[in-house]
Amino acid sequence: MKALFEPKSVVIIGASAKENTVGNGLVKNLTGNPKYKTAADIPFDGKLFLVNPNTESIEGIRCYKSLSEIKEKIDLAVIATPAKTVPEILKQCKGKVNAAVVISAGFSEVGEKNLEQELVNTAKETNILLLGPNCLGLLNAHNHLNASFAPSLTPQGDVAFISQSGALVDSIIDWANAENFGFSKIVSLGNMAGLQFHDFLEYLSNDKQTKVLTLYIEGLKDGRKFIDAAKKCKKPIIALKAGLSNAGAKAASSHTGSLAGSAEIYKTAMKQAGVILAESMEEMFDIAKTLAKEPTCNNNIAIITNAGGPGVLATDYCEKYGLHLVELKDSTLQKLENTGKMSKSYSKHNPLDLVGDAVAETYKAAIDVLINESYVSGIIIMQTIQVMTNPYENAKVIFDAKQRHKGKQKPIICCFMGGEHSKDAVALLEKNGIVNFNDPLRAVRAMSALIKE
Amino acid sequence: MGLLSFSEVSVLLQKYRIPYCNQQLCATLDDALTFAKKAKFPLAMKVISQDIIHKSDAGGVVIGIANIGDLRNAYETMTLTLQKKFPAAKVEGILVQEMAEGTELIVGAKRDPTFGPVVLLGLGGIFVEVLKDVSFRVAPLTKTDAKAMIDELKAKKIFYGVRGKKPLNIDAVAAILASISDIMVKNNTIQEIDLNPVIADDKKAIAVDFRFIT
Repeated sequence: MKALFEPKSVVIIGASAKENTVGNGLVKNLTGNPKYKTAADIPFDGKLFLVNPNTESIEGIRCYKSLSEIKEKIDLAVIATPAKTVPEILKQCKGKVNAAVVISAGFSEVGEKNLEQELVNTAKETNILLLGPNCLGLLNAHNHLNASFAPSLTPQGDVAFISQSGALVDSIIDWANAENFGFSKIVSLGNMAGLQFHDFLEYLSNDKQTKVLTLYIEGLKDGRKFIDAAKKCKKPIIALKAGLSNAGAKAASSHTGSLAGSAEIYKTAMKQAGVILAESMEEMFDIAKTLAKEPTCNNNIAIITNAGGPGVLATDYCEKYGLHLVELKDSTLQKLENTGKMSKSYSKHNPLDLVGDAVAETYKAAIDVLINESYVSGIIIMQTIQVMTNPYENAKVIFDAKQRHKGKQKPIICCFMGGEHSKDAVALLEKNGIVNFNDPLRAVRAMSALIKE
Repeated sequence: MGLLSFSEVSVLLQKYRIPYCNQQLCATLDDALTFAKKAKFPLAMKVISQDIIHKSDAGGVVIGIANIGDLRNAYETMTLTLQKKFPAAKVEGILVQEMAEGTELIVGAKRDPTFGPVVLLGLGGIFVEVLKDVSFRVAPLTKTDAKAMIDELKAKKIFYGVRGKKPLNIDAVAAILASISDIMVKNNTIQEIDLNPVIADDKKAIAVDFRFIT
């Protein structure tokens, strides 16, 4: 697997000089010059070889006529030639290449099951790790490896994404660049003729750059292996599963048969495997970001807000997601009073509503008092923007508080509502790895994923 | 698709320690009477035949038999009715069993193409028919998994005792779930199992009717 994610050398077989082709996109992506270039795109850290019998050079890099002309051993081959040529090419890779990504389409997805079987057999005979076929490729942001025809690389981060849809990967990459969401590794699985989900769960469980795994699943080939690998995985796994609508549960010959539809069984299996099932892409990456940044905690949550309405909404969502809002003790209220920073009309219960005239100092006092209470395990900090509010100062206060209270291992999730005039504040939070959402639903859902069971 | 016979199922139930009613498969009225003399009334009587699937509709089920006289009448009526309606049916025998009282549950299993054997638990009657209140686990499952299945039911309170009723014997239910899981894991030919109903109270959980599909 190291050959796949951390290759010292890569060969593109089927490299092309023709603009807007897969073979050309691969070359551009691996030379750090993709069509949709971002700040993340710099040339891949290792050595790059190209193979194309009809071209002298592409992007200033020499093209070999065939693999046999290359004398060195190569970690990773990226193959983008017509489907029927791929098994033969893989044979030529024997002894020279450790892993192969087959981008080429035209296998089982179009009914060519025998060709795919031939590919699988060849991979076994040649002892080459096989990813694909019919996939987008893979990316490792930490060594600038973009062995795919995705639009660009992503910022570096600690979330891995393993997807059964290549198109989804494309869109997520573009989104990640807009949102500055960092990934460690991204894999498009394609037809899963060789490597499957469970192989990546095993590998990423020990990957130092990955803290959380996210999966997009259409169908598993081996559910038992998936469950076993997920159970053993040392990191949180969040999955989005397509096709959970149970359309067409077959007429069954037993009660059990008719009651146990495939959707229910999928949900059960994921639960048994310890996998969090997300309902949307947004939810999946919200939870992933939160689990990567914040510690887990017991179910004793406090909310600090400067407005009643959003606090009530958050309370509703807490009930929906099973978050327990602690009752603030009299002694805590006394401590809040003693800070001399509370408004006369502050709420005196959880959600702790500091009311609209709360300034940064008010937030600071409230955070310090609540986080020091042993019966408070995690805090959601909400802010709405009013003339008295200074979002940037509030964000700074939260950042300082997080530093000050780091040792307590209590998660803080922010919910700075609004947009235009909280941009700088949100940027400050995000730059410093503080989790922030603009909707109380997302903040509460994210906090609920941190609760230890 | 086929069904396991009564005797095949009995062997499995014994081997995997799934409790069932005090019962006997009878070939003759005399068999039934001999059994009834030692048994505790009320009794139930069911025809066992792979050719008669919907046995209550066919007149192949009588419940609440209170004494020897009733048993004799019920046996004669049932055999006559079935001979008329299903002259060609192969009948394994008439099952006479002590009636169990308690809460009706359904325990089942099937093979999923992705995950393999899966075990199901639900409360019987309206809970399963209308509300589809059931929980699942992928086999093999431990007793802890089995207990978690109970806690996942919306009607779980019934297991723990509501309105002055005693709680059901959770360990006994969990043991049946674990046994069903074991049967599915170790017997690849069995495709689906219904234990419907399993009757449970504070002391026991016993399989009253069953169907094993191969």
